[in-house]
Amino acid sequence: MTRSKFLGSTFCLASLLAAPTTAQERPLTVAMHYTQEQAAPLIACLDAYGTDGPGAEYQQISYGDYLQTVLTGRLAGQAPDIYNVYSIWAAQMVDNGVLATPPAAVTDFVTAGYSAGTVDAATIDGTLWGVPTEVSVYMLVSNMALLREAGFDTPPTTWAEMREMAQAITTRNDQDRIETAGFAFAQSSSGAGLVHPFYALTYSEGGDIYADDRSEAMLESDAATATAGLMAGMVQDGITDLSVDAYDFPAGGIGMMIMANWYESAIREGFGDRFDEDVAVSAIPMGEDWKTMQYAFFMGVDSASDRSDAAWDLVRHLNEPRDGAPSCMAEMLDGLGALTASSADTAALPEADAFTAPFVAALADDRAISQPNVMQASELEGLIARTLEEVIVGDAEAGPAMEELDGDVEDILSEFY
Amino acid sequence: MDAGDGPVGAGRAQWLFLAPLLLFAVVFLILPLGFSIYLSFTRWNPLGTPSWVGLRQFEYLLTRDDDFLRSLVNTFIFAFGFVVIGVPLALGLAFVFSRARGKAVWRQIYYLPQLTNIVAIAYLWQFVLDDRYGVINRMLGLVGLRGPDWLTDPTMAMVSVVLVMIWYDAGKNMLIFSAALEAVDQDIYDAANLDGATAWRTLRSITLPIIRPAFIFVTITSFITGMGFFALILAMTGGGPRGATDVTALYAYRMAFEDLRMGRASAAALILAAVIGVIALIQFRALRERS
Repeated sequence: MTRSKFLGSTFCLASLLAAPTTAQERPLTVAMHYTQEQAAPLIACLDAYGTDGPGAEYQQISYGDYLQTVLTGRLAGQAPDIYNVYSIWAAQMVDNGVLATPPAAVTDFVTAGYSAGTVDAATIDGTLWGVPTEVSVYMLVSNMALLREAGFDTPPTTWAEMREMAQAITTRNDQDRIETAGFAFAQSSSGAGLVHPFYALTYSEGGDIYADDRSEAMLESDAATATAGLMAGMVQDGITDLSVDAYDFPAGGIGMMIMANWYESAIREGFGDRFDEDVAVSAIPMGEDWKTMQYAFFMGVDSASDRSDAAWDLVRHLNEPRDGAPSCMAEMLDGLGALTASSADTAALPEADAFTAPFVAALADDRAISQPNVMQASELEGLIARTLEEVIVGDAEAGPAMEELDGDVEDILSEFY
Repeated sequence: MDAGDGPVGAGRAQWLFLAPLLLFAVVFLILPLGFSIYLSFTRWNPLGTPSWVGLRQFEYLLTRDDDFLRSLVNTFIFAFGFVVIGVPLALGLAFVFSRARGKAVWRQIYYLPQLTNIVAIAYLWQFVLDDRYGVINRMLGLVGLRGPDWLTDPTMAMVSVVLVMIWYDAGKNMLIFSAALEAVDQDIYDAANLDGATAWRTLRSITLPIIRPAFIFVTITSFITGMGFFALILAMTGGGPRGATDVTALYAYRMAFEDLRMGRASAAALILAAVIGVIALIQFRALRERS
């Protein structure tokens, strides 16, 4: 053997032997969208995990760039071991084999310890893909100061009551622009501000968005069409308009909105000392059979992780209560004013405040139905938002518009189901 | 060795010197363009592997996708408005400031938006144009007038983004026109004066013909910029309301990075590139022939 061949062989052998060792030594990576500051309690747990385990490190990826960064990282072979997946991204990640199936122990841990709606959020085609972390639920949030000023002491319980109250609150200036809005939809580039309340109202009307096997849309159903009509009525009857943004609620000029719990901190900041007295959270105003929508993030493991068993151990470690204290994840979420759907964590955390309690109750009572996990969810919700906006401003009639939307959505579904 | 050949090794040396440039072109231009062309014939989300679909992406975009076709119309409206209003405005500003006191200061002021982040500009104008709280509508309200729905009415939203784009870009084009105006020989103006030419006649018959190369350059580059620009729109209106400001470049961006349809996004980008190329060529020839 020549010297160069010997050196080459030795180098290759050394590389082969070193590779697994290097992989084992590398800390597990947990990629989430929370800032370092927000994730401080979790990062402390990850640091502590390093003392008696393989070690773990936190990687922050901004929410808006999360999926793109993950995709690019995977193409470059640099994917994290653990993801915090927004449930509507999950169908595509599963379809493309990005996520690993959890071991039976993790599946049992989730199905036994989380509300059914939240388990659905982490489930694709009957398979659970991770451990639910942050949950967001939509409820009616009211500015009681404005309601009381208009002569109402309690939030509405039906849509008709809400219209009446909103109408009484709404005021316009000399240029006929709304100054105080009785009700507002949230404006967001993704369309979620319209689509999420639409889901909550459609569920309350007894409808659904897609068939169980996702091969059909149910957007031309009576429930969905009626919901579009209800939303449009708020604008067409002059109670609100789309120049009013529910995200301005903290400024005090909006009577009611259908909003998720994560907006609490902004409302609290806006209302200051009057928060407890002037802000009320109540059921979606659709009568006794009201339902709402929830969406969730869940922790999943990359299918290409070379230490998936260790990664699942870490996922469970981060989400299991610690000797009567809440889990690392629940501690972090509680600090952010966000919700966990883990019943053990809910019991371990201090009792929810008046703002948060109705959201927690909606989860516990199975009122909160999961946002549909469907392929191309973002694209589909963009289409739904566009149609709702057209109906709301009066550019289209609810019936024909929802029928056309149903066809467009089914065109996309047919590519995948 | 032939008479025309240089010293031995000169052939290799020139390639060696060109190598960094060629490498740059291959890595950052040819490979991405080739990959984009390939992708336009496939269906691919970056999670999986591309599957060949032939011309189906182009067929879908050009025959069935109303949003894409509308985005093309919006793109033309945006680019046309930007050029038709923006180029004469920049020329006018350059002309006025070439005769103004403290012209360097004026030019700097008008160039300032170019130094500002486009997203910051979008947010700034959102505050100015907001239907309810915006400065403009508040001031109109003070005199009893109801201002337009700048960002929530489909027509006004397009007007708004065109106007902000003109505001953003006017300083750059003004500088190019200013340089061209400064280069005009003063003797020609003096001769025209002696012949009794009016200011309008001087502008029409002397200034504009002499600065025609700058005019062609600004018109064509502005049109290309307008056809492909989307960052301002993304941050200012997000393509709304109801798709009224959704231009093709924004459509392709969304298709690629939100809907993860890389094949369709590539096809849309190639169609846009082809349209820009053809129109820029026509424009260039038309303007050159006139000169």
